[in-house]
Amino acid sequence: MCGIVGYAGDEDALPVVASGLKNLEYRGYDSAGVALLDGDVDVFKSSGEIDGLTLPDRHDASIGVGHTRWSTHGRPTDENAHPHTDCSGDIAVVHNGIIDNYDELKTSLAEDGHEFRSETDTEVVPHLLEERYDGEDLLAAVEDVVDRLEGSFALAVTAVGYDGLVVARRDSPLVVGESDAANFVASDVTAFLEHTQDVVFLEDGDVAAVTGDSVVVRQDGDSVTREAQTVDWEADSAEKAGYDHYMLKEIHEQPQALRQTISGRLDVASGTVDLDLDLPSNYLKSLEEIQIVACGTSYHAGLYAKRLLEEHADVRCSVEVGSEYEFTGGRDPWRTLVVAVTQSGETADTLRAMRKADAAGARTVAVTNTVGSTAAREANDVVYIRAGPEIGVAATKTFAAQVTTLSMLTVAIGREREALAGDRASTLLRNVRGLPGAIQQALDDADRVRETANELADSDAFFFIGRRLGMPVSLEGALKLKEISYAHAEGFAGGELKHGTLALVTEDTPVLATLTDGANPRETLNNVKEVQSRGAPVVGVSSLDDAESYLDVGFDVPELGELEPLVANVYLQLFAYHVADALERNIDKPRNLAKSVTVE
Amino acid sequence: MKAVILAAGEGNRLRPLTERRPKPMLPVGNRPVLEHVLEAVADAGIQEVVFVVGYERDRIQTYFGDGDDWGVDIEYAVQDTQLGTGHAVLQAENFVSEPFVVLNGDRVIDDSLVSAVVDRVWDGESPVVSVTRVDNARNYGVVELDGELVHAIYEKPGVDESRSDVINAGVYGLEQGIFDAIRETDTSSSSELELTTTLDAMAREGGVAAVRYSDYWLDISYLWDLLSVNAAVVSQVDERAAGEGVPDAAVAAESAHVAESATIQPRVALGDNVSVGPNAVVSNAVVLPDATIEAGAVVRDCIVGENATVGPNSTVVGGDARIVVEDEVHRDVRLGGVVGDNAVLGGGVVLDPGTVVGNHARIASGVAVSDRVPSGAEVRRG
Repeated sequence: MCGIVGYAGDEDALPVVASGLKNLEYRGYDSAGVALLDGDVDVFKSSGEIDGLTLPDRHDASIGVGHTRWSTHGRPTDENAHPHTDCSGDIAVVHNGIIDNYDELKTSLAEDGHEFRSETDTEVVPHLLEERYDGEDLLAAVEDVVDRLEGSFALAVTAVGYDGLVVARRDSPLVVGESDAANFVASDVTAFLEHTQDVVFLEDGDVAAVTGDSVVVRQDGDSVTREAQTVDWEADSAEKAGYDHYMLKEIHEQPQALRQTISGRLDVASGTVDLDLDLPSNYLKSLEEIQIVACGTSYHAGLYAKRLLEEHADVRCSVEVGSEYEFTGGRDPWRTLVVAVTQSGETADTLRAMRKADAAGARTVAVTNTVGSTAAREANDVVYIRAGPEIGVAATKTFAAQVTTLSMLTVAIGREREALAGDRASTLLRNVRGLPGAIQQALDDADRVRETANELADSDAFFFIGRRLGMPVSLEGALKLKEISYAHAEGFAGGELKHGTLALVTEDTPVLATLTDGANPRETLNNVKEVQSRGAPVVGVSSLDDAESYLDVGFDVPELGELEPLVANVYLQLFAYHVADALERNIDKPRNLAKSVTVE
Repeated sequence: MKAVILAAGEGNRLRPLTERRPKPMLPVGNRPVLEHVLEAVADAGIQEVVFVVGYERDRIQTYFGDGDDWGVDIEYAVQDTQLGTGHAVLQAENFVSEPFVVLNGDRVIDDSLVSAVVDRVWDGESPVVSVTRVDNARNYGVVELDGELVHAIYEKPGVDESRSDVINAGVYGLEQGIFDAIRETDTSSSSELELTTTLDAMAREGGVAAVRYSDYWLDISYLWDLLSVNAAVVSQVDERAAGEGVPDAAVAAESAHVAESATIQPRVALGDNVSVGPNAVVSNAVVLPDATIEAGAVVRDCIVGENATVGPNSTVVGGDARIVVEDEVHRDVRLGGVVGDNAVLGGGVVLDPGTVVGNHARIASGVAVSDRVPSGAEVRRG
């Protein structure tokens, strides 16, 4: 949510910053801007997508920052686009996050004669810096100013008189990339992966001075050392490889992503998994409840895992939306494990929930895709889903990798609790291992999904139904369709249809039913009959061999036990994609949305 | 200089393995043939590559992405219908602006061949056709040489017409003029537009240079070729061997799982996420990703498809077979059997030598099968 990129080195900064912005476009795309330092500060910014930003053909500056915006304070206008500057135009700031006390700061700065040009919270920062900056020691000025800010931020600042950038982080992601010739900063490593894979993740409260040949990190005025890490993601992943959209590329990457997810972690024959977790056996045995906290698609993965955990690990499990989470209800924190599921590891709502659990004394496990992310660092334990970078705003392969990882976690916990017998664990793991092959079969049928989507694209609304493990998949199917096609879609438990929504079902409202193992398909088939008798077209994703006669279109899911609904989900992903494509939507950049929601 | 790699073809004679993937994606030594070609190109110093893709192109695009893993930039030109190699080259017209090399994406070659062609093209020669010697020349485009010049190219001549064992090695050096030449080629004798037809016409006018090549040149024309080409590649890359119980002349993907008591013999490649159960024996075999070989199974001279299952104690006996492909009889070919993608052999199934089980086919426990089982079929005891 908002992307920052910065460069300090010997080469021209402009192309690096511009390509970095393009790589970060998934974080926001309603305005963009660049500031280049070359004796003085030149700012280029405008509302609209990055491709619409007018930049010079070349520019001699070797220091620069860029920003792509997802609006929180102030509409997407040219004035509200970052970078923001002070009155003199010598200090430029880009910011991700929300400054809570900007109103009072702005009032007091205005009284002192500062002129504001935008409606943003960010603009107070350059003006505050103008008060403090002596023209040389930008690091000290930024350290002073961040002390006065309340809220969350990742800041990158460049100013006349200083030969580099100063960055600061509090509750918003910021990473420094190091190479021999230059140093980089960004909200996310994908911004500069093509230049270096050696990175330093900043921590909350860090302020860093980044020049072409040095990186100095300070916290509370003292120098600190932050360990350098190597990110083994390939820059490749930020390109489309002949596909029309990242989303379609990522849907097709699912078999290989899942092979990575499970590689070296499971032993089917013995029914055991190794997730490198540090959860003592006695602790797991004493657990009374597992709480899963997550948002959006990750929340649906959590709902899927809840059923698996309750059944195989014999432990009560609840799933809560991150923003609604409270540690209440008479729970014993020592007997409650909180599992935070977040692709980016930076989802503000989920981090907030995790911190509440931590403050209450509960143990936390992060299930995330992002090494070095805030969730990974703050949780007591972390399990990586290893899906590789996901650029499409609509999460696809990471949902599959989350459910796969949570299935393995279920086996790990169930075995430790002695609730899951070896043969049942073995069956579940055999199905986990079968996921890549089964999903490939769904992908092989993509042409038929496209035909079906094209026929139904202009419908009034879409309803997704499924029971048990088919329920979270129905929610997820509806969410995908909403996100990228803007069609009205609802997902719910099959049994709930007759309790209200059936009133909306007409000949122009297709119903998509998940009819697989693990989803009580026979019962859902009765719901299919209810809607069919009202004329609704029915699309079934099914592993039943006799469902065809009740379906207008059927897609086959190979045998995979309780993981069949996860394979069914791949058909629903393809359906959402092709409906959106038929409606000519901007699939990788759906309106109003951005990936990695780092504001609450 | 850019390289254009032709990877749009289907590979009819390799069914069922090519029903769900293009021929260049068949794995030898656990890596697609196309990856071997790409590496030869990259090792020859070429950094910009155009893949001409068509049939099942998702598989190629998903695997190779934008080429960063190989240090090259890959662009994709789409050939919607496969109308011959000349037509395929035309699809790359908007991607190249200077002399370029063209390669077939389904032949394993050494980078020295690419370098040799590149050098000649830089020297201003064009077109350049590479040639090599093989035993079974009549299966390929036979080339008649006249010193350093190509005199003529005959596409798959019969036994009688074959006057030479020198064949077209499938690596060409070309320049912009070739596009018009292809368009102007007389296609009245064939429905497909072959690059060799155009080059043959140019050769007869005396304008095609030849580059001789004598290092390895491996083609997969038939299913059994996959085993021999895999064996040749596996024995070269033995330093890649991974996993306990895997001998030098075999490879296993890092994510493959081999039970301790299983025996993996030489000339075996086990793909990603493959599982080999206790006491199973695997010898001279290509096992594609996600396949399962259950406890006690014996798999010899065999190709096991993606996500296929060879049930417990099933036996692929192995050895020589007589196989009919497109109405042509092949005797004494080494192919124990093929288990298609997603096919399932139950427990104790026996495959006679040369049996080809189609994709998604299911063979019930205890059945002995021979010849061909069509894709999607179910075979019960009876």
